[in-house]
Amino acid sequence: MSGAEPVPSPGAGAPTGRPTRRPQPRTGASAVASLSLNLAPMIDMTFLLLIFFVLTTSFHPPEGILGAKLTEAGPVPGRVALPISPIIVRVRTTGPAVADFAIQIDNFAAQPASFAELAQFLRDIRRNEGFDEETPVVIVAPADTTWEHVVECWNAAVRAACRNISFGGEG
Amino acid sequence: MAAKGKIRGSSLGFNMTPMIDIVFLLIIFFVLVSNYSSAERVPVELPNPYKSQARKVKVTDRVIVNCQWSASGPDGQPGVVYRAGPNPPEPLERISDRLAAARAAAAAEGRELIAVIRADRRLPFEDVRAVMRMITENQIEQMRLVAQAGEEP
Repeated sequence: MSGAEPVPSPGAGAPTGRPTRRPQPRTGASAVASLSLNLAPMIDMTFLLLIFFVLTTSFHPPEGILGAKLTEAGPVPGRVALPISPIIVRVRTTGPAVADFAIQIDNFAAQPASFAELAQFLRDIRRNEGFDEETPVVIVAPADTTWEHVVECWNAAVRAACRNISFGGEG
Repeated sequence: MAAKGKIRGSSLGFNMTPMIDIVFLLIIFFVLVSNYSSAERVPVELPNPYKSQARKVKVTDRVIVNCQWSASGPDGQPGVVYRAGPNPPEPLERISDRLAAARAAAAAEGRELIAVIRADRRLPFEDVRAVMRMITENQIEQMRLVAQAGEEP
């Protein structure tokens, strides 16, 4: 056999001692570009959200609810029959300042000087026989008493765990 | 030359990461502290009782009566202004009509209407008592008072 052996083509046959190089595809540059993240829309939305919250946020003190149940309206609206032996708390405003008020409790010697003392009185009175959480507490205030002082009385009664609180009016 | 160009290109880049971090922190802050007030809650200086027992409670089937203190009331004098929810200031008689209509609608559906009074702390009791009287006349038995909320126990 003296047939001629096929001549390997350059770079495709036996090792020549030098690594062969394949031509790189030209699409490499565009592949890298497609991986980049376009942040512009996200930043737009983020700034819009930020502006929205900055403009709409208002820092009000939180408000809550004090429960109350009105007695059922009778034939004469606005007048209700008082239950037996209620605790009648009278409050009146005595001056322009918040601390200008006076509290008086009908038929009891103790006269609280503050709303904290009123709450304590309403708690302590339940140690006596005939008084419990259901004992009616009627808050009576003259017409010119500020609403703040009336609500303070109401809050003190709620703090004392009184469940039957109502309003009365003088005159 | 190529290496030089690459350095120049990267030095022109703007690192927005810290800015986006700050912006996101601000957004999270505002989302957490935002208190979406309804239109019914018109600005009123609420009473802030000592150790307030007022709690954030969701009241459905409610009608809110706002009693605002105004430096120029209906007659130009400082005094009370009544508003039924987000409505403009109205006389108490008109609000009573609204209450009656709301109560009738609630009763037709078997629901009990709750009247919520948001009154300014500076008002005299007689102005708020007039609202209570109106509520009673409309045979609404449930009433709630609004004050500044205290801390939960």
